[in-house]
Amino acid sequence: MTIKLNIIELPKSDYQGKPSSLCPGCGHDQISTVIINAAWENGIPPERIAKMSGIGCSSKTPAYFLGKSHGFNTLHGRMPSVTTGACMANKELCFIGVSGDGDTASIGMGQFVHAIRRNLNMVYIIENNGVYGLTKGQYSATVEKGSRKRKAEENRQNPIDLCAMAINLGCSFVARSFSGSKKQLTALIKAAMSHRGIAVIDVISPCVTFANNEEFFRSYGYVKDNETELHSPDYIPHHTPVEEVDIPAGEYQDIELFDGATLRLETVGNEYDPSDAMAALAAIHKAEVDKMHVTGLLYFDAEQRTLDEELTLSDTPLVDLSDDELRPSEQALADLLAEFRS
Amino acid sequence: MERIVNDFTINIATANGTGSQSANLILLQTMFEMGVPVSGKNLFPSNISGLPTWYIVRVSDAGYQAPGDRTHIQVLMNKATWEKDLEKLEQGTVVIYNSDVKLPVERDDLILYPVPMTKIARGLNPKLARMISNIVYVGALAEVLGLDEAKLEAALAKQFGGKQKAIELNLEALQLGRQFVADELEVSDPYVVEERERDPDAFLIEGNEAVALGSIFGGIGLLSWYPITPASSVAEELIDHLPKLRVDADGKSTCAVIQAEDELAAAGMVVGAGWAGIRAMSCTSGPGISLMSEFIGLSYFAEVPAVFWDINRVGPSTGLPTRTQQGDLTLVYYAGQGDTQHIVLIPGTVEECFEYAWRAFDYAERYQTTVFGFGDLDLGMNRWVCKGFDYPDAMDRGKVIRSQEALEEIPEYGRYRDVDGDGIAYRTLPGSGLEPILSRGTGHDEDGVYSENPEIYAANMQRLARKIEGARNQLPAPVLREEEELEVGIIFYGSMENTIQEIDDILEETGLKVSQCRVRALPLHSHVEEFVNRHETVIVLEINRDGQMYGILRTELPIELVPKVHSVAFSDGIPPRARVYAERIMEVLEEVHK
Ligand SMILES: Cc1ncc(C[n+]2csc(CCOP(=O)(O)OP(=O)(O)O)c2C)c(N)n1
Ligand code: SF4
Ligand SMILES: [Mg+2]
Repeated sequence: MTIKLNIIELPKSDYQGKPSSLCPGCGHDQISTVIINAAWENGIPPERIAKMSGIGCSSKTPAYFLGKSHGFNTLHGRMPSVTTGACMANKELCFIGVSGDGDTASIGMGQFVHAIRRNLNMVYIIENNGVYGLTKGQYSATVEKGSRKRKAEENRQNPIDLCAMAINLGCSFVARSFSGSKKQLTALIKAAMSHRGIAVIDVISPCVTFANNEEFFRSYGYVKDNETELHSPDYIPHHTPVEEVDIPAGEYQDIELFDGATLRLETVGNEYDPSDAMAALAAIHKAEVDKMHVTGLLYFDAEQRTLDEELTLSDTPLVDLSDDELRPSEQALADLLAEFRS
Repeated sequence: MERIVNDFTINIATANGTGSQSANLILLQTMFEMGVPVSGKNLFPSNISGLPTWYIVRVSDAGYQAPGDRTHIQVLMNKATWEKDLEKLEQGTVVIYNSDVKLPVERDDLILYPVPMTKIARGLNPKLARMISNIVYVGALAEVLGLDEAKLEAALAKQFGGKQKAIELNLEALQLGRQFVADELEVSDPYVVEERERDPDAFLIEGNEAVALGSIFGGIGLLSWYPITPASSVAEELIDHLPKLRVDADGKSTCAVIQAEDELAAAGMVVGAGWAGIRAMSCTSGPGISLMSEFIGLSYFAEVPAVFWDINRVGPSTGLPTRTQQGDLTLVYYAGQGDTQHIVLIPGTVEECFEYAWRAFDYAERYQTTVFGFGDLDLGMNRWVCKGFDYPDAMDRGKVIRSQEALEEIPEYGRYRDVDGDGIAYRTLPGSGLEPILSRGTGHDEDGVYSENPEIYAANMQRLARKIEGARNQLPAPVLREEEELEVGIIFYGSMENTIQEIDDILEETGLKVSQCRVRALPLHSHVEEFVNRHETVIVLEINRDGQMYGILRTELPIELVPKVHSVAFSDGIPPRARVYAERIMEVLEEVHK
């Protein structure tokens, strides 16, 4: 039997991680599988990827994918800052950050919004189950008003919508998806990897142990019945000429990505324009009012400069500079002292 | 009347934000250029404009740099403190005051020099009168003390950085102030400044600027910081110097600077950058260290190089944010969760600020852990005489494996395996593809794989302790100045260096000869223990309430040595005055010898 290889001739096993220790059926495991597939199919060399996470069941998952990539399971809510530092050290790596809704929308809110504000070049995935899985299922700040988890009172506080927040902050790539929508999620994560700048993907990812009852808006059952897809996304890699791909029967829109790949959005219902921030916010608002989940590429803007560009960092990643390039010469010190003495 | 040459203290009372800082620095620079040993200390409020500020200039042929016991010359500019400032003065003090301020000076035991500073300043430029009146007092002082006119003018030009209009205006104010004293007043005090031989290599610099430069020459690749007095100027000086010193052939930067959203993020960026293989640091003060502590614990346990400069101020929250203290020593030494212990470098001079700034990166990468630089507001934000900086030694990048061949040379590689027996394991960097692991704060085995196994956890913690223990005698050794008598030894550290000689001389006047041991790093070098061993009684002198270094010594010294060690710890926010500490030392010694 021949083993299937990707474009850089690696088997998928090179992208796999250790066996998961999450609860069987946890949405997070589905997302890990998608990350493995996306990285493998995109043909990114595993050593060029860095996996980053905070703390939570979701943040444990980097152990379960991309075993040949370095990773850092950091502190609760602090994945963005560690990623920022690492990205300044080596701006050529593909940073895949994984976080939870507790990790991002509560303790890590400050770092989340500032990573967006700086347009850090990374993929930022929130595995959003509406609860703190690892600490036994307390409500998180993204849980919808009226949603109720097993053996608990209904939540009456307003939710924080991370996509709306990201759009308001001018985030260059904002998407929402569902761990059970494998095709859509794969296309979006691949596109996020091809994007330059911060790509936020808020993925509804049910916690089967603490919050998978029908009254909980982030249970499998509820999401399946109440998902509105903006479009059906298809990822066309840079090595496949777009012309050679079959033209869809209906309406569609192509989005060109930084590395030459294309995200093709086939229209499902109404025409949706992901470059229109107001339309994106309206769609999110409508879904909230209707107690629905709107998924797809909500917002996209390729024009923004990333943090490393903004800082005009040396073309060579800082980590690859020699000691001589990092330390001014003896003459420079002598000149400086002469100036002080004058 | 006998003249008093180069041995007095000037106190200048002004309001914050009126431009008095420029005037004071001109005064300091002039005397420095005249070769006179002089030091200036800014006692400023936590406020941008309007609150009282005092600038203390110590002129001392003996080289004393602490604020003296008393004021010999008082400059009065500030209405708000006028009465109190006057009240405190000892008989015979010279008072140069702005006679346009409609407040009484009702003491006939002082030597009074009224100068109509506002009137003079208004005559030059009514709009800028408040600023210019400060230069008028510099002129008046210059005449009273006999400062060199050419050096004064050069210092003024330097201060106003070539801005011709400002230079002309202020020069005129200076001369008018000088003229007024010469023409209208009868100068009858004993204080004079006399020129001394000027060391051509010396210049004045703030400790924080020296730290910034040391970091730049240390190969810093990332600075992340959140503004806080008195640490901000480390970052600001770095930002100022980077464009000249750290751009590549394409004019692009080889150091990233990020103003973080808070100290949590600042520390996270340092840890991320250190993990990914560059030299990274942040600078902050006590409140920032509190917020950084979780990351510092992570750096210790996941073994990621990180450098943090704590420029101490009085805490908590804002505390006395513009006042000095050595209050964070235990905070930094043990920052983090569970069992931790960090390397702390403690400069006592501006030369050491530079040196320890580059060395901090070497230690951080060698030991794969957090290294603190421990400064304070006094050393960091005041100008000190500097003889120059030595070019750093070749960089020590520590045990980083950068190629497959190098990896293969290591028997049984594991990220946390102690193959060399020094507690320091080898590491590989992201992007290298060499033996990747998922770094984490969670328990891990020698291969970096998640583990909660009790033996593995305990063994790992023992290795970490061994690793830091191994650093002890590799760190800067204490500076010892010993007396033959070996009776009383004083252990001190950091900016106390600038007061110790005066304390020593005061004690010597009473017949007491003391040895000195200036600690320059934690964990304590074995020479410190030997110093304690050699002396009959040891005093640990520090600028805080609880005697934090004393506490560390009690913990780390062999138990039989502990009884001879005593604490003299005091802090009121003001830079240490020699007599205050000398008297406390004598009290403790009296108690001991009872
Ligand atoms: C500073 C700190 N506070 C609290 C915790 C405890 N804690 C661990 S995971 C977690 C919540 C995780 O929730 P989420 O990010 O939603 O991840 P999930 O487990 O739901 O995937 C908390 C509060 C911690 N690890 N660190
Ligand atoms: S507790 Fe919930 S979130 Fe955590 S692994 Fe189990 S199902 Fe997943
Ligand atoms: Mg969660």
